[in-house]
Amino acid sequence: MSRCDFKIVLLGSEHVGKTSLVIRFVNCRFNASTPYQNTIGAAFCAKAMCVNGKTFNIGIWDTAGSERYEAMTRMYYRGAHAAIICYDPASLPSWARLRHWLQELRTVEEDCKVYLCGTKKDLMDSGAAARDVPEDIVGTYSQGLHGHYLTSSKTGENVDELFQKIVEDCAADIKVMKNIEEQRVQLQKEEDEKRKVYCYC
Amino acid sequence: MDDVLDEVVPSEDLQKFEKVYHEQLHQGRVTPKAQFEYAWCLVRSKYAADIRKGILLLKDLFNSHAEGKRDYLFYLAIGNARIKEYNKALHYVKAFLEIEPANQQVLSLERQINKRMEKEGMIGIAQEIAFGLSNERFIWRSLSSVEKAKKGVVCLV
Ligand SMILES: Nc1nc2c(ncn2[C@@H]2O[C@H](COP(=O)(O)OP(=O)(O)OP(=O)(O)O)[C@@H](O)[C@H]2O)c(=O)[nH]1
Ligand SMILES: [Mg+2]
Repeated sequence: MSRCDFKIVLLGSEHVGKTSLVIRFVNCRFNASTPYQNTIGAAFCAKAMCVNGKTFNIGIWDTAGSERYEAMTRMYYRGAHAAIICYDPASLPSWARLRHWLQELRTVEEDCKVYLCGTKKDLMDSGAAARDVPEDIVGTYSQGLHGHYLTSSKTGENVDELFQKIVEDCAADIKVMKNIEEQRVQLQKEEDEKRKVYCYC
Repeated sequence: MDDVLDEVVPSEDLQKFEKVYHEQLHQGRVTPKAQFEYAWCLVRSKYAADIRKGILLLKDLFNSHAEGKRDYLFYLAIGNARIKEYNKALHYVKAFLEIEPANQQVLSLERQINKRMEKEGMIGIAQEIAFGLSNERFIWRSLSSVEKAKKGVVCLV
């Protein structure tokens, strides 16, 4: 059975570091030497995670930030259990874009848990980049959401914490868990049916 | 698995982008954006005929709109892989990698295509064997018991 239990979608302006975040989380690495490659459409990744002794398969859709793909990106947050909206604290335009996604999610996917993620923390910490998005504004916006994290895909800081929190929140959500249980039962049924069809002895 | 080769477009999305495309076609001017979005839905359809149509639209874009070449190559590879035209799919993958040799999305697509070719190659062989066996059994059943007896087998049934 390879169906995913939780669906997480990453949104945010281009170049904010969504793909780097996924690669850090799934493959535990960061490659500073490969040049920036903007994602085409959306990319899928899966990882198993353990919470409270239970294992969950999580599917992550890493969407493309370029506005060229906006119509396509919309299709990927449909039915998502959680969304991570990324922004680069050193880029005000990326914050404006975050607000746009936030608004859309609020109206289209009410049940989706939303997490804000400020990326490239290492650049901020070392002074290589200056903060452009005021902290108090971020604070105001993250109220009522499921969390706000400052991460670095380069050092790995807060990356596991962010995903761990998402899976914990999903696992604690009775409605989500009921759905997953039903899905598992359905899948089992389908597999049993398939077996029946193929077995003609 | 919901990966890029298995993902299926919801029919309402396909219809939505189809409508935009046809409206523009009717007015005599289709933008690359509308054509791409429609093609992108088509290659994610579960029907091979849709996928083929999407491939045609993408090829047309590839030849007429230089800006989005990388997108078109990528979805040409996906479309062909989905209708099991694996060699064509790998051809587009190769063309892409010539421009961007380290592209992770395309490298992972290449791995997926190779895995499928391998798996389906194996299933193909298994099916042939199964077909051969059932054929033999069929011939065996159609023999009369006299013939079976002639072949030196005692028929207990
Ligand atoms: N120093 C540092 N650089 C980072 C970090 N995260 C991403 N980058 C760099 O930022 C650039 C863009 O990263 P991506 O992950 O490709 O951005 P993206 O959001 O996926 O971009 P799109 O696919 O176009 O939407 C790359 O050059 C990365 O190396 C980080 O945590 N620290
Ligand atoms: Mg990306």
